[in-house]
Amino acid sequence: MQERAEIRSKYWLALFLVAAYTVPFAVGIYTENVFFDLQWLADLTTVILNGIMQGGVYAMFAVGLTLIFGVMRIINVAHGELVMLGAYLTWMFFFYVGIDPLLALFITLPIAFCIGLLIQKLLLNAVVGGPELTPLLITFGLGLTIIHIVEAIFTTDYRTIPYAPDALQLTETIAVSKSKIISFVMAAFISLSVFFFLKVHRIGKAIRATAQNADVAMVCGINIFHIYMITSGLAAALAVAGGALVSIQFGFNPETGVLYTLQAFAIIVLGGRGHYIGALIGGVMLAVIESLISFMIPNGTAMVEIASYGMMVFVLLIRPRGLMGPKEN
Amino acid sequence: MKKSLVFVLGFALALTAAPFVEKSHAMDKVTLGIAISQTGRYAEPAGRMVNSYKLYVDQVNAGKGWNGKKIDFVILDDKSDKQTSLKLYEKLITQDKVNLTIGPYSSGITDAVANVFERYKYPTMAPGASSGIIWKKGRKYLFNIISVAQDYQKGAIHIAKDIGVKRIAIVGEDSLFPRQSAEGAVAWAKKLGLKVVLNENYPRKQTDFTALLQKIKARRAEALISNSYFADAAAQIRQLRELNINLKIFAGTVGPGLPKFAKQLGDTAEYVLGFSQWEPKPEILKRPGMKEFIAAYEKRYGVKPNYHAGQSYASLQIFGDAVAKAGSADRDKVWKALRTMKTMTIIGPWKVDDTNLNSHEGLTFQILDGQRKIVWPKKISEVSYKLPMPKWKERGKN
Amino acid sequence: MAQNEHLRNFGMLAILIIVLSVLPPNLNLYQRSVIMFTMMYVVLALSWNIISGYTGYVSFGHVMFYGIGSYATAILVVDYGWHWIPTLFVGVLVSFVISLCIGFPVLRLKGPYFAIAMLGAAEGTRVVATVWDSFTHGGEGIGLPNVENSFETYFAMLVVMLVTIVVSYWVGHSRFGIRLNAIREDEIAAESLGINSTFYKLSAFALSAIFPAAAGGIQAYKVLYIDPETEFFILVTIYMKLFAMFGGKGTVIGPILGTFILYIVQEITWVKFPTAHLIAFGVFIVLVARFMPRGLMGFAIDKGWARKGMVH
Repeated sequence: MQERAEIRSKYWLALFLVAAYTVPFAVGIYTENVFFDLQWLADLTTVILNGIMQGGVYAMFAVGLTLIFGVMRIINVAHGELVMLGAYLTWMFFFYVGIDPLLALFITLPIAFCIGLLIQKLLLNAVVGGPELTPLLITFGLGLTIIHIVEAIFTTDYRTIPYAPDALQLTETIAVSKSKIISFVMAAFISLSVFFFLKVHRIGKAIRATAQNADVAMVCGINIFHIYMITSGLAAALAVAGGALVSIQFGFNPETGVLYTLQAFAIIVLGGRGHYIGALIGGVMLAVIESLISFMIPNGTAMVEIASYGMMVFVLLIRPRGLMGPKEN
Repeated sequence: MKKSLVFVLGFALALTAAPFVEKSHAMDKVTLGIAISQTGRYAEPAGRMVNSYKLYVDQVNAGKGWNGKKIDFVILDDKSDKQTSLKLYEKLITQDKVNLTIGPYSSGITDAVANVFERYKYPTMAPGASSGIIWKKGRKYLFNIISVAQDYQKGAIHIAKDIGVKRIAIVGEDSLFPRQSAEGAVAWAKKLGLKVVLNENYPRKQTDFTALLQKIKARRAEALISNSYFADAAAQIRQLRELNINLKIFAGTVGPGLPKFAKQLGDTAEYVLGFSQWEPKPEILKRPGMKEFIAAYEKRYGVKPNYHAGQSYASLQIFGDAVAKAGSADRDKVWKALRTMKTMTIIGPWKVDDTNLNSHEGLTFQILDGQRKIVWPKKISEVSYKLPMPKWKERGKN
Repeated sequence: MAQNEHLRNFGMLAILIIVLSVLPPNLNLYQRSVIMFTMMYVVLALSWNIISGYTGYVSFGHVMFYGIGSYATAILVVDYGWHWIPTLFVGVLVSFVISLCIGFPVLRLKGPYFAIAMLGAAEGTRVVATVWDSFTHGGEGIGLPNVENSFETYFAMLVVMLVTIVVSYWVGHSRFGIRLNAIREDEIAAESLGINSTFYKLSAFALSAIFPAAAGGIQAYKVLYIDPETEFFILVTIYMKLFAMFGGKGTVIGPILGTFILYIVQEITWVKFPTAHLIAFGVFIVLVARFMPRGLMGFAIDKGWARKGMVH
């Protein structure tokens, strides 16, 4: 009985995703936004390629969120604000010190790790396992504080970092932006190294053990509060790295963080609770759906957010485990 | 237990009473009230306006004042939120009992609070609002000063017509002001016989325009009319370059007018068209008092004023003239003066029609060598425009 | 519970109502607005409290119903020329139906999943309100005709607040409320005792959805201009939670107290310290959530000033 419901939910999810990918095409054909010629196919390819690269970066900060959620079952609403903070840190190093945004990662990541560690130690360690409202509110308050401190220092001005502004011409008709490629490669590199850290390293294994069952992990002699702190630090570092990669592509101001939090939510719901690879795949899938909606549906750009919110609601209803998440216990 | 409850209730009541202490202002002063965004998303343009207001008030107070009375300037922060703004104007009017009010920043907030001005008969200058729809509701007390959003793209579309563009795409943020601007752009395009191949909106926080730009390319648009603020305009022109999409015209509204647009984008910003209500160029616009204002502003804040600063300074000039003409800061008299008078400000002549609209004409500029050069209307143009924009690949080589 | 305790509670409520209804003519417009908005947040905090305080299902998207209410009023008044008072009932009805449609599937989710789903639903509604141009006027917003409305909205809000308080009180003292509490403590155990948890959760959810709709409608009529960005603003949900939590969630008097204190403190401080106020606000949320999760009432109960279960 249980098993059949399980399989059925899998089919429903597959159906939902297929629908999510085909609806833009259907609407596009219906509203004559789809032209059947080579030029249009090249445009479509560009859009999908860009979506995939965009997704890589989304995925990177989503895995931070999914790590925290998996290990502690806490939703960190301030995650997007850490992304924003990362963008500002990178900007500062770029404009005041003159360090290349990617090299600046060597400085910003340790800082971010410490910030995450401190947040965990001072605020969250005491509320792990309690009612879920408490950490939600704590992190929300923290997010507001970060936003307004940044606003007090930097004002609400939009900032951008001019970085690799040109196009890379793949073929005659397909061009992708250099900054996106760089971001994607960096995102893939960073998230895969964290993945191998989790798989291979002793601490990484301890993190995974804690995620599976904190009580058992404690019995095995793992200090779970240390693990919580390391997880938080790691997540913050991933968020800040995400911020650095966002900052070389897009403008940002103190309020942009919220958007990234919401996107990351949608991604971890799709990928499955606490599932690392799930979040990576989810990120790419979401970004591609967003691109398709924007490209083919009339006035589609105004609707792209529907993709993430629809994902949040429907995937949760159809299959709370998402694509690859572990079974609820 | 009873005691504690009584105590708590008493405490709550005491707190309730606290914000309700009425102020009264000295009679020998004219109080001027404003609630404007010092925090939140409009803080940046609104900040420039506040700079100008402070400059004007200090200048007048150092001189003769308004009819010999000093100005008392009350400024509150609306957090860029309309509920807050509404409450604050109610406070300014019914509690602080200011003599005159100036409108907030942004068309949306102005549309909400203008109702209070109407009900309490406060003649109000609105340098922070440009959507024509605000004045289509029969309002009598809100005075327009700058040209309305519908005319922001007038110049760009005329130029497009001139260089032989036939297909244009119009995009804009999905909120009151950009949509009004898009409405105007569509109307002008129709009038001039250009084909609008795409007219779409995007949400406020959109950062990635790749798919939208590809869509524009797929529709074979030759010009992009972007009814945008700073962040989105910058992202769009940047991503056009990153995707190697070559258009003949890119016309923004507010964004390119900010000095940081050319500064942050470097040579990507070249050849972009933008709209401005006013530029700090006394030798070309030749408005009285411009030079002095620009010098004073630059001296005090270290930067040249942009049009936000100019139009807010002008709005206080108009108020000053109206008070002088009325002979006092009596609201009824000031209102009558504003309705009928004709005056000159640093941004141009001012006289309203029956719907309180001034017929200020803005200007279209092009960024050339990192500088904003006026290119339209012809009678005040500095240089002739260099369009169509060169292809991305051909740039930077020379 | 003792009869006289009910009497006393209603006596207190009566005093509050009398004070609030004789005040307006003596107040200026601004003061009326402040009290009006305070009452609005009392309604919102209490409504949130019905679903989240009593049953423990933390809604992160209650602003949805508030937004639906304000849109119902604005659209009916502007496009269909209705008088504004009947529109409130339409808003309530729409909100009720939508809450049932959304609540039925979403309330099966537990803990953080419910929170995320509600957040998604609220934000999704905002996007619909933005995109559905022909019906909602899209991102351009809706401007209502200008009228003097401060007395009308004040008393309408007073009535809605009164109803919300009475309903909350009834929920807190009835078997209905006891069952909701049982669901909060242990849903599986409650079900095994024969409580139809779906029915109770859904009723609580629908109850908590109708009052924000009325409040939103009145607010739209007060502000006279609405747009999706502000009517579905996530911060409104946060305010509901914060006010309820600061006063003490799961009680009736807690959210009322929390709102009156916090909203008015905020009103005083931000005028003087715009930026610092916002930073302090964030820090304050953190501190309340971290150190006072049961709020003022919890504190009072611990101190022995209030009996456990009082007004609850």
